[in-house]
Formats: sequence, C-alpha cells, structure tokens
Amino acid sequence: MRLTFHLAGINNQNFIMRDEETGTYWQQISGAAISGPLKGRHLTLVLSDELTLATWKLEQPQGTVLDDVHEYIPEYAKRDWDVRMKRAPTVLAFPEHDLTGRDLMLGIQAFGASRAFLYDRVVSEKLVKDHVGSEPVLLVVGPDDQSVRAFRDRIPGVEGVINFYRITGKPSGIVLMDDATGSEWNFQGCATSGKAKGQCLEPIPMLKDYWFDWRNYNPKTTVYGKGR
Amino acid sequence: MTNRAPTNRLIFTLVLLSCLGVSLVCVVYPIYVIRPFRHQGANELSAALVVARFRAVITVISAMAAIAAVIGYWRRRPPMWRRVLQAAAALVVVALAFLARINVYELMFHPDIHPTFTAAQDVKLDGAEKVISVRIGEAARAYPIRSMSYHHVVNDVVGGIAIVATY
Repeated sequence: MRLTFHLAGINNQNFIMRDEETGTYWQQISGAAISGPLKGRHLTLVLSDELTLATWKLEQPQGTVLDDVHEYIPEYAKRDWDVRMKRAPTVLAFPEHDLTGRDLMLGIQAFGASRAFLYDRVVSEKLVKDHVGSEPVLLVVGPDDQSVRAFRDRIPGVEGVINFYRITGKPSGIVLMDDATGSEWNFQGCATSGKAKGQCLEPIPMLKDYWFDWRNYNPKTTVYGKGR
Repeated sequence: MTNRAPTNRLIFTLVLLSCLGVSLVCVVYPIYVIRPFRHQGANELSAALVVARFRAVITVISAMAAIAAVIGYWRRRPPMWRRVLQAAAALVVVALAFLARINVYELMFHPDIHPTFTAAQDVKLDGAEKVISVRIGEAARAYPIRSMSYHHVVNDVVGGIAIVATY
C-alpha cells in the first residue's frame, strides 16, 4: 500500500507523521509506527546522503532538485539551519561524554550497534577509521570539506588489513588511496584506478542528528573518541 | 399530574455540557501534549495520539448530540436567555468539530503537496546549499535543506518507487 504522509506533531523534538490512508502515526527518526492500525511496522530506510549541492551536482549531473514553493520562500531557513538551531533549547538532556544536547553528531546504527561521531571532529580529521560493533568502518569527508559519507572498511575480494589514506589535490573528487591495491577512490567510495578499479566500497547509512535526539533513540550508543 | 419539564431540561443540559467537555478534550488535549519545547511522556503521548486519531468522529457525534439536546431543551420552553445560552454552547461544540479537522502543524509548516523538480544543471541555488540526496536505480534526487527544514515532509516517487523524504 502506498502511503501519503503529513506532518502531524512532535515527540520530544523529533517530529511525528500521519499517513492519510490508515491514520497511523509514524516517528520520523526511526520510521516506526507508534500509534494506529500499523503500529509496530517500520518504513524501509532509503540510503541518503547530506551533501553540498555542488558536490551532488558533480556526482549526479542528470539528477533533479526539489523546487521551492514560492509563497513559502520567506519562511525557508537560511544556510546552515542545523548550526543556527544549536541555540534552541532541548527538552531532553543526556550530559554524557562532555556533549551538549545540540552537538551535531553523525550516527550509525549498523552491525548490531550504535556509534556516534561528533560532526566537527570528523570534518577536522577528514578521514576517520573506526569500528561500529566489530565491523571496521571509514568516515570520509568530501572534497568540499563539509559532506561526509561512511563505508565498510573492506575491499571486496581483498583479505587482510587495508590501510586507506586521505589524499588531496586530485581532480575528479579523488579523496582516498589504499595500500593493498594501490587504488585511488572517489568520494562515492568507488575505485577509479589501480587493481580495484571499478569496485566500490559498501556504503553505510548515517544520520546527521543532534546529540539529544540520537541518544534518545540509541540509548546504548557509544561515541567516537569517548571510549567504547 | 407532575411537571417533568425541569427534570428533562436538566437532562438536556447535562448532555450538552458532556458534549462540550468531550469535544474540548478532543481538541485541546492533543495540542497541549504534542507541542514544541515541551517534554512528552510516553503514556501521555500515547493517549494524545489515540484522542487525535478518533477526534474527528467523536466530535461529529458530540456535535449531533449537542444539537439534539438543544432542540429538546428548546421545546420545553425555558426562559429565552437560557435557550440562547444553550444554543451558544451547542454552536461551540459544532465549531470544535470543525477545529478537530484542522492540522495545526501544517498551519505552522505548510506542506509541499505537489512537489515539482528542476534539472540539476538548471538549478539556481548556491552550490554551498546543503541537500539530502537519494539515488534509486538511475534516478537521483536532491532535497534542499533550506526548504525541507520548513516543509519537513515531501511525498515523492523516485525511480518508480514511492518514498517520503523527511527532515
């Protein structure tokens, strides 16, 4: 059944949707039905990225962009809305790991675990090699120094430890090189040269969210750089 | 022979007051609980969503009962000022039935009901604007955060697949 969703409320500063076909209420962050005939069901997550428009246009020149609705343009947010909202109060507090409620995190829920990364720290480190659960992962900052993607730290068909290195100054969005195959990798996680040319790393869904919201829905989360 | 008119008038008044109370709860309680910058407890949120789900039906039944009560009360020929007061109360109940159908959240953040799209190369937005991007099959879509942080929800079809983009 195709559902049509509407903004329908808020639950501790994470919004609630209602579908007009069944009247079920859904939590935005989790895609879980929380009240109504479909309670207990989950929406299927579609892999998405938060990128700068310039980076996305380079990668997807044939893509299309959602238009503004002209009558509401005066209501639209100025750039870096999520950073500006850091001044807004929160109704939940999780004073752990020296984090404040509005710290922007990159959250990964995968491999049976939850792991959060402070966005500013990832952007400053450019390449983060870490684990989610027992799975090695890479967080890679794009050529625009703002966009971030996560990948499994494994090259299909390559055994053993692989070391990825950040490289700069390359054209065509090349951001990584590995020492196992000598390949260069672009920000989409695909090798453009070397033995691995044509192969792509497995992307991992990642959510940019405020600490209070991520922690509320991931109570067992660990935080990068704050112990496991 | 006894005069039952005062007793009947009392019953009609109680029915009307009950309708007013039920309709008020149906409209006000979800708004009170589900409002920004307020902590929502699990139980009260659950109760508020149940009320919100059924309020459209409940408030219509309540309005019909209120109108019936006023008609019944009117026929018992009470003083005119009481009749007017009862009619006014019934009007409030009817108004609440209409209010129960209004999505206040979509009054604050208007929906993008019929989204339209522009080819990437024709978009005039600054390249530094952030977008949420998805790719399904060969189809790629970008949702600028500047508008998504206002509309919050966009129902869409990408690569033949129905999705809802949220922010």
